[in-house]
Amino acid sequence: MSSLGDYFATDWSAMTPQDWIGTILTVVVFLLMVGLYFYALRPKNRERLEAQRFIPFEGDDESFESGDKR
Amino acid sequence: MDYQQSERTYDFDVVRWFSIMAIVYLVVGTAVGLLIAAQLAWPVLNFDSQYLSFGRLRPLHTNAVIFAFGGCTLMATSFYSVQRTCGAALWSSKMAWFTFWGWNLVIVLAVITLPLGLTQAKEYAELEWPIDILIAVVWLSYLFNFVMTIAKRKSSHIYVSNWFFLAMLVMITYLHVVNSLAVPVSLFKSYSIFSGVQDAMIQWWYGHNAVGFYLTAGFLGIMYYFVPKQANRPIYSYRLSVIHFWALTFGYVWLGAHHLQYTALPDWTGSLGAAISLAMIIPSWGGAVNGMMTLSGAWDKLRTDYVLRFLIASLAFYAMSTFEGPVMSLKTVNALSHYTDWTIGHVHSGALGWVLMVAVGAIYHLVTRLWNTEMYSTKLVNMHFWLTTIGACIYIVAMWVSGIMQGLMWRAYDDYGTLAYTFAESVEAMHPYYALRVVGGAFVVLGAITMLYNVVMTVRKASAEGRVGESGTAPASA
Repeated sequence: MSSLGDYFATDWSAMTPQDWIGTILTVVVFLLMVGLYFYALRPKNRERLEAQRFIPFEGDDESFESGDKR
Repeated sequence: MDYQQSERTYDFDVVRWFSIMAIVYLVVGTAVGLLIAAQLAWPVLNFDSQYLSFGRLRPLHTNAVIFAFGGCTLMATSFYSVQRTCGAALWSSKMAWFTFWGWNLVIVLAVITLPLGLTQAKEYAELEWPIDILIAVVWLSYLFNFVMTIAKRKSSHIYVSNWFFLAMLVMITYLHVVNSLAVPVSLFKSYSIFSGVQDAMIQWWYGHNAVGFYLTAGFLGIMYYFVPKQANRPIYSYRLSVIHFWALTFGYVWLGAHHLQYTALPDWTGSLGAAISLAMIIPSWGGAVNGMMTLSGAWDKLRTDYVLRFLIASLAFYAMSTFEGPVMSLKTVNALSHYTDWTIGHVHSGALGWVLMVAVGAIYHLVTRLWNTEMYSTKLVNMHFWLTTIGACIYIVAMWVSGIMQGLMWRAYDDYGTLAYTFAESVEAMHPYYALRVVGGAFVVLGAITMLYNVVMTVRKASAEGRVGESGTAPASA
C-alpha cells in the first residue's frame, strides 16, 4: 500500500448484494452498540441499572455486604 | 431461602451430576495432556502404537478439557445460576437430563473415535459428522431449556450472567453448525463443504469464536454470578458489565482472521482481525477490573477464602491473556510467534489460568451449596490452588521461552543469507523446556486429583451426615 487512501479504496461497482447486506448490518449493529453505551453510561440510568447488582442475593436468608462505597 | 426450601424450589440433581462429571473429566483431560506433553519430550512414550500416538491423543486432550470438562462446568453453573437468578426451577428437568446423558454420550464417542483416527481434521471440531449432529441436538436442548427457564423468571430483569450464557449458547449453535457443514462419504468419513482459503477462514472464525464465546463469554457468565456470591458482595459495577457484554459480543466475531496472518487470506482481513483484537483489550480489562473490584474494601477475604482466591486469580490470568493475545495478533509480533510454542503458552495461560481456575472456584462453591456442607478439607483446597497456580506458571514460562527461542532460531540467517539453524537443531534446543512443561502439567494434574479426592470425601461426609435432601440449614444460602 502506497498511501492510506489506497488502503481504504473500494471498488463500489464490484459490491454484490451480499456485500451490501453485510456492510449495512455491520454498521447498524455498531450504531446500536454505541447507542447502548450511551444508555448504559447516561447518569439518569445509573440507579436503575445498578439496582440489578443485587439479583444474585434475592431470596437469600443471609445478609450480604453492599460493597457500595460510592 | 434455606437448603430445604431451595431443594423444593429448584432442580439441583442434574447440576450435582454435571459438577461431579466436570471434575472427573478435569482429571482425565489433564492426565492425557500430561501424557502427550511427555511424548513430545520423550517420544518413546508413544509406545509405537498408532492409538497412543501424539497425533491421535492431542485432539482427545483438547476435546476432553474443552468440551468434557468445560462443557460440564458450563452446564452445571448455568443451570444452577439461571434458576437462582430467575427464582424459577428449570423449565424441563427431563430435558436437562437428556442434555446430561447426551453430552456424556458425545464424550464417550470422542474417546472411542479419536484414538481410532476418525477425524475431520478441523482443530477443536475433529469429531465426525454423526457425532456433530448429536452435538447439535444436545446443544439445542441445552439452549432451549435455558431460554425457557429465563422466560418463566419471576424478576423483570435478566441478570448479566444469563446474558453471557445466552451469547455463548446462541453463537456456539451458529458456529458449530456452519463449521461442521460437510459431505459424508461413509459413516465415519466426510469432507468439509468449504475448501482452500474459505475453509481456513471458516475454521478460524469457528476456532477463535469457540475461544471467545465458549471459553470466554460462558466463563464470564460464571464469573458474574459466582464472584459476587463467593465474596458475598454484589458486582462492582453493573453498568460496566453491560458494556463488557455488548463490546465482547460485537467485537469477538471479527478476530478469527488474526490466526491467518501471512497466508493466502487477503491482507486486509488479518489487519482487521488484529485491529479489533487490540480494541478488545478495553472491554476485557473492564470485565476483569469489574470482577476484581468487587472485593474493593474487602481484600482481606483472600487471606482466608481459598475458593475466592481461585476466582480472583483467574481474573488476573484473564487480564494477562487478553492483553497477550492482541499483541500476538500484530503482524510484526505474529511473524515471530506464529507456529511456535509461544502460542501454546498463550493458550494455556488462558486455559489453565482463566478457564480452569474460574471453573474450579465455581465448582467448589457449588459443592458446598449443593451438598449443604463445608468442604472436607480447606487445606486441600488451598493446596489445589497453589498446585494449579505454580503448575500453570511453570507451563506458561517454559512455553514462552521455548517459543521465542524457536522463532528466533527459525528466522536467524548467517552472513551468506542461509539459515543459521536446521529445524532439527531447534527441536533439540526445545527439549529442556518440554521437560519443564511436563513438570508444570504434573502440578496441574496433581491439583485436579486433589480436588476429586476432596469433593468425593465431601459428598461422602454430606451423605453420612444426612445433609443432602434432608433437614439442615445451609452453611450459606446458595
